[in-house]
Amino acid sequence: MFGQGLAQENCNLTIRGKIVHAENNEPIEAAYIWSIENEAGTISDFNGLFRISKLCPGTYTIKIQYLGHQDYVEKLEINSNSNYTFRMVAEDIALEGVDIHGHQEALITTNSVSSIYGEVLRSTRGQTLGESLRKIPGVNTYSSGSTIQKPVIHGLHSNRILILNNGVRLEGQQWGADHAPEIDPFIANEISVVKGAETVRFGADAMGGVILVNPAPLPVKAIQKGEVDLIGFSNGLGINAAASFSGGSEKIKGLGYRIQGSSKIAGNVQTPQYILDNTGVKELNFSGAIGYSSSRLGTELYVSNFSTTIGILSDSHTGNLSDLESIIENGRPFREAGFSYNIQNPKQEVDHQLVKAKIHYHLHNGSKLNFQYSFQRNHRQEFDRRRGELNERASLDMVLFTNSFDLSYNHQTRKNWDGAVGTQIMQQANSNIPGTGVIPLIPNFDMINLGFYAIEKFTNGPLELEGGLRFDHRYVEAARIIRGDLQERDFTFNNFSAFFGGVYALTRNLTFNSNLGSAWRPPNINEQFSQGLHHGLAAIEIGNPDFESEQSFKWLNTLNYNGSNLNIELTGYANRINNYIYLNPTEEQFVSLRGTFNVFEYLQTDANFYGTDLSVIWNISSGWEFFSRGSIVRARNIVDDTFLPFIPADRLENGIRYQFANASSKSNTTFSISNLAVARQNREPEFDLAPAPPGYQLWNIGAQTSIKMGKNKLNVGLYANNVFNEVYKDYMNRFRYFTHELGRNVLLKFNYEF
Amino acid sequence: MKKSNLNLLLLLLTTSILFFSSCESNDPEDENEGELITDVTLKFTEVDVAGGMVGAPFEVVASDPNGLELGNNPTIGTINLKIGKTYLLELELFNRIENEDITEEIEEEADEHQFFFLGSAFVGSPVLTYVYDDADDDGNPIGLRGFVTVASSPSSNNAQFRLVLRHDLNKKFAGANNPNFENFVQAGGETDLDITFPLVLN
Repeated sequence: MFGQGLAQENCNLTIRGKIVHAENNEPIEAAYIWSIENEAGTISDFNGLFRISKLCPGTYTIKIQYLGHQDYVEKLEINSNSNYTFRMVAEDIALEGVDIHGHQEALITTNSVSSIYGEVLRSTRGQTLGESLRKIPGVNTYSSGSTIQKPVIHGLHSNRILILNNGVRLEGQQWGADHAPEIDPFIANEISVVKGAETVRFGADAMGGVILVNPAPLPVKAIQKGEVDLIGFSNGLGINAAASFSGGSEKIKGLGYRIQGSSKIAGNVQTPQYILDNTGVKELNFSGAIGYSSSRLGTELYVSNFSTTIGILSDSHTGNLSDLESIIENGRPFREAGFSYNIQNPKQEVDHQLVKAKIHYHLHNGSKLNFQYSFQRNHRQEFDRRRGELNERASLDMVLFTNSFDLSYNHQTRKNWDGAVGTQIMQQANSNIPGTGVIPLIPNFDMINLGFYAIEKFTNGPLELEGGLRFDHRYVEAARIIRGDLQERDFTFNNFSAFFGGVYALTRNLTFNSNLGSAWRPPNINEQFSQGLHHGLAAIEIGNPDFESEQSFKWLNTLNYNGSNLNIELTGYANRINNYIYLNPTEEQFVSLRGTFNVFEYLQTDANFYGTDLSVIWNISSGWEFFSRGSIVRARNIVDDTFLPFIPADRLENGIRYQFANASSKSNTTFSISNLAVARQNREPEFDLAPAPPGYQLWNIGAQTSIKMGKNKLNVGLYANNVFNEVYKDYMNRFRYFTHELGRNVLLKFNYEF
Repeated sequence: MKKSNLNLLLLLLTTSILFFSSCESNDPEDENEGELITDVTLKFTEVDVAGGMVGAPFEVVASDPNGLELGNNPTIGTINLKIGKTYLLELELFNRIENEDITEEIEEEADEHQFFFLGSAFVGSPVLTYVYDDADDDGNPIGLRGFVTVASSPSSNNAQFRLVLRHDLNKKFAGANNPNFENFVQAGGETDLDITFPLVLN
């Protein structure tokens, strides 16, 4: 045998390595690694890592095999313990060169990423994006009633987090507490949350984290498949239907397409004791995508339209402070409502269009050129109850156009280094549509943002290190007329952001991520320009055009244990935000002919956020699984030494899932029961309209079965949320002052895959 | 093939640059704030027992020329009434910014609007009593027109005259036909006006 004659002590060399997909650097599990000369072999683990020990110095031929991928063979000269990264190229495309299609382009980051997909995603179908994401520990919602729910990551929401809709920064009017993200969750086959700061990659705002809503990749082969969803739910007597169909062309290899649509109609929802008036919702969304991939080129054109009409609880719009105080004292709405699908004022009508064109081109040296252009139009109309003809007119009517242009160059060296340099240009124009009869809440504005960034990653066996730097220049021109008086103002923001992070696989099952990232966010236009009444809070809000950008530094650490029966993910983070903008109550009250109002002003301070998330999945025995997820957030205004408002309370969800082990049958059935315990938020700010509501516990149950019907599959799910019809209020709901949360909701879901 | 790919890239680049330059915000326009109520006029006319007018009417005005603008508190006049007398009270609402008569709008939507008369003048040990003298198509009171009677031996010569205008309320709500209904919020709706006038009796 090779090297047999050498002294034993010299034969203790070890090579370590990592196997990844060439396209996206995602680790490959279960690849075979053969050292041909000494007939030693091993299999890569969950993180794509392997090691071969007891090697004598010499030259070895390493052969790596993985299903659907081209064999990788390389001669290595081993004289010391060494580390290598091997990139596998998918087979169907390897013949023509390198290409990305066939693999979803994953986000490559040393930040930890949590995703929901498959059965878990299916169980959230029919819920808002915010609700769906509550399956991920550390993610919560900030809501205005049951129909408007904004995702919260580690205590931050709105413009402090970023949502990527199929790779495009979602640009709506996110600044509003009652402006829900304009996304159809049905477009996604995976929703991921990056909990770290990712400003370098994506630009301003990605301070608390990033939500990625990703559709499935377009087919590149001549196949046709589709999916139909039909969901009914008892609370609100709602129906939600969705369908998607995708196919690949037989004539033109590499041409694929998808069309997709969804609609939702629901009426007034109810708490265990009463019906909430005017809380219906209507939604109609569709999207289409077409893509073509050849050996070096990949293109995609994507178009989507989202439109919704959302009823706002009628009693939530109060005329003045004494109205608000009366309804808070009452603790529930005054209006006794019946069930209805009818949506009256107050309501919101929002539609959002997205067009995206994407091209990537593989250059000869394994590097890649990416280009993406996107166009978004967001039209938001908010209707209030008004006198006469005005009732038919929106009192807030704005159109926001966003053009963005991304160009990047990815390079890959043969082993350790890969990275990207890029530029992003974003241009935005916001116009108030005249004729509302109300002085606009925010001015018309034009914005242009230029960003330049560079990211480099070093991979060496179990260790990955990554760092990046970005510079952004933003120029905003705002103008409005208040009673004949033209007010104009320009703003310039220049910001650097940077991050440094790493992943280290401590053992086969244990990995550790750490990422320190800075991020920035310019003041929102409402924080600069608000000067008037905020409906519903009986508050006059005063902005400040002299605000500086917020600066944040987030340090995120995740320890992940992935054993055969046990999976634990523990996250700890600290986020310092300088120039944190918040709405502060003043002692002042404003008196008008309409009554008295509280006066709030926007101020800047420094804030500290820290907390921890835990997720545990334990396969107790065959069929039985225990799961647990919890999160804790602490947030303080460190200048005034007070707590910040609307920070999620401590929460813990525990559950058990049982799967029928029935190998012979064609069906697959699971039952689950879970308990969600949410503590009272005892860390309250000094001023609030009402004290935080008490903690609560909810029980949820679910049953899910999949029936194979030839090549097709039918998934049926029956779920009941808030089984015991618990009467409770949630601290994170802006309407908690005068409403309870929803009572029992039974959902029946059919999903048919063909 | 390769060349056409690059050409495609170039084409896309050019188109998107074109898009960029074409997208600008509109010039801001002045809004017609038709909804505001800047002036509320209480027109009192003394009447005799038979309901006949006695003497010249007089007006008490509450005005806020800038509406809900910060910094200016409204100017609210004082109501001077004579002990033991009865007055016809007519309300007029006006939007001075847009020169619009809001009274007409209220009359057109009488079924959605109602005035309430509250404060120490009407509630507790009242020195005034109010009787509605108008009604919408359903026979429910509005309050644009009514009669105010001053007690013949009032417990105090000074009191608060609070005028509330609600809209979108349930006028059939139990108790809502009482002009001095303190729990008017229970009938639902929103407040359009909530003004407290000082009242002096002599």
